[in-house]
Amino acid sequence: MFSSYFKLAIKVLGRHRFFTFISLFGISFTLMILMVTTSFLETELGSHPPLTEKDRMVLLPRLIMKSLVTDTTWTVDTTMLDGQPAYDSTFTVGKQRQNSYSSSSLSYSFLDRYMRDIPGAEAHSFFCSDTQFDIFINGKKLNFKTLYSDATYWEIFNFNFLAGRSFQPSEVERQVQVAVLSRKAAVDYFGTTEQVVGRSIEMDGRQLEVIGIVEQPSNSKDYVTSEVYLPLTLMSGSALTETGFHGPFAAVFLAESPQARSTIVESIRQKADRIPLPNPEDYNKLELMPATVIGLYAYYMMPVQDDPEGALQMFTLVAIGLMLLFILLPTLNLINLNISRAMERSAEIGVRKAFGAHSGSILAQLVFENVVLTFLGGILGWLFALALIYLVNDSQVLGDTQLQFNTAVFLYSLLICLVFGILSGLLPAYRMSKLHIVNAIKFNNL
Amino acid sequence: MIQLENITKVYQTKVIETTALDNINIEVPEGEFLSIMGPSGCGKSTLLNIMGMIDEPTTGQVTVAGKLVGNYHSKATARFRNEQLGFIFQSFHLINELSVIDNVELPLIYRRVSGKQRRQMAEAALTQVGLSNRMKHFPSQLSGGQKQRVAIARAIVGQPRIILADEPTGNLDSAMGNEIMDILMRLNQEQGTTIVMVTHDETMARKTHRLVRLFDGQQVS
Repeated sequence: MFSSYFKLAIKVLGRHRFFTFISLFGISFTLMILMVTTSFLETELGSHPPLTEKDRMVLLPRLIMKSLVTDTTWTVDTTMLDGQPAYDSTFTVGKQRQNSYSSSSLSYSFLDRYMRDIPGAEAHSFFCSDTQFDIFINGKKLNFKTLYSDATYWEIFNFNFLAGRSFQPSEVERQVQVAVLSRKAAVDYFGTTEQVVGRSIEMDGRQLEVIGIVEQPSNSKDYVTSEVYLPLTLMSGSALTETGFHGPFAAVFLAESPQARSTIVESIRQKADRIPLPNPEDYNKLELMPATVIGLYAYYMMPVQDDPEGALQMFTLVAIGLMLLFILLPTLNLINLNISRAMERSAEIGVRKAFGAHSGSILAQLVFENVVLTFLGGILGWLFALALIYLVNDSQVLGDTQLQFNTAVFLYSLLICLVFGILSGLLPAYRMSKLHIVNAIKFNNL
Repeated sequence: MIQLENITKVYQTKVIETTALDNINIEVPEGEFLSIMGPSGCGKSTLLNIMGMIDEPTTGQVTVAGKLVGNYHSKATARFRNEQLGFIFQSFHLINELSVIDNVELPLIYRRVSGKQRRQMAEAALTQVGLSNRMKHFPSQLSGGQKQRVAIARAIVGQPRIILADEPTGNLDSAMGNEIMDILMRLNQEQGTTIVMVTHDETMARKTHRLVRLFDGQQVS
């Protein structure tokens, strides 16, 4: 039965070539955008190295200090008492309001003092991803983003090592002058990634031994994306000894399980209430902003202040809304086109019903035909998407983010095709399946 | 084989009520070749459609092949129609995108018959109407008479007990019309298929066993 439907679906496509072109163009363009968007989200939010354990991670990128004051309103009444004026005053206490606000990343000493024993965390790492160095080599200036971390950082984030290894706790402790480079940094500095391990790189007036080369993370997250990775004990100045709360550091905690992340988040929030504030007259409220990988991503995308979970909700709503809108508009258009095309086939539907097709088989036939059309559009859309992904990656319009079209994206795309095909075919098919046979046969177009 | 009792069909709009059929009682015995005649708009096609269970009477009872027709839109009625009835239309109603043999196979698609068996049955039906050499052709490559023969092959491929033909020769010249009529008569005589045919052509009608005349929705003979 379906081979007959398939044969007919292909033949019907050839009936009105311009109409077919419009349909296929609409479908393929829509699916291309959806596939590229899916690819982008999969690249940014998927469990790829070094974020293979992202579902167990809690990040602590920010600390917020607030000065909260309570408004008090005084009311003074004057009355005459025994011929003398008397004064009576009352006051009302209003809501607490925020007087001043300070938000930044954290200092190493704060993390070291308060964030080492967080319940539910299997491991933790403190790192600073906020430094850049200019390096001059062969008359060329290179700007390398540098990330300082402890050794545990490499246990939490699973980088793909092209060569060599990460630094060890003892090397961090002894301030050994070692560096891990990204593939890009190795190529920029040495012109190759071959036999770079063991060679030296001069940076910030120091000779650093390259001990490892990692594959560039394919996403845009600044807590993993860097050109040079150094032990945090090599940080210059007072970065590690500064006693204030604010600083250039962030933390990552690895939960025992994805479910245990909420324990970590709650523990961090509760701990903030117990930490004594250095200058309560300036700031009397401390808040910490723990976030999941996806929550933090949403936080950077959405204008929601200091609330990654709220940002994630908004991000999800906006993403779903945009996706639906993007699917719905061409679907409505396609439904419209499909209805007019299906009406031309009224007589055929009538004949089929006269010869024993029931409404369900007509519905199945027309939806199947539309799914075939959508899959053809899907194949075109897939080719367009591959081309667009190549262009986006080649032009580096998304910076370090390298879009990938992998199995997950392909499966999502198949699902999108199916949903799109069924959605846009269902209503016209339903209307046609309910046609009265006698009325349908009166149409002479077959 | 077909029994119509007190059939009326009324088309009602907000403004006007039109009686297409008024208290029709007809019985068609098994193996009969019945023709229905009458002027345009007298209700011939409506009557044929009611016999074929593709239209519903306003009142009255329809019994086809021993089954009292109840729900006209059910899956069971569709299956019954598929097994018991074959239709031939004046304007052929072949699907232009499908080859001749694919058109003939159409009723079998809804019958859970294997692809191989479908092909064999369709070939046999086309051979029966003398078109075995046109199986791979498309309807647009055939003459009117050939198209109607394909339509007959489609109607008989499922070996129905009843064939309902709505002016099968109406769009054909007399030679081709006679050819079609010969095929129908042969079907009736050799296989005992019950045939009800609507026609405007007195000559064709006279070749059948019995003639029913309608006028303004009423049976006049």
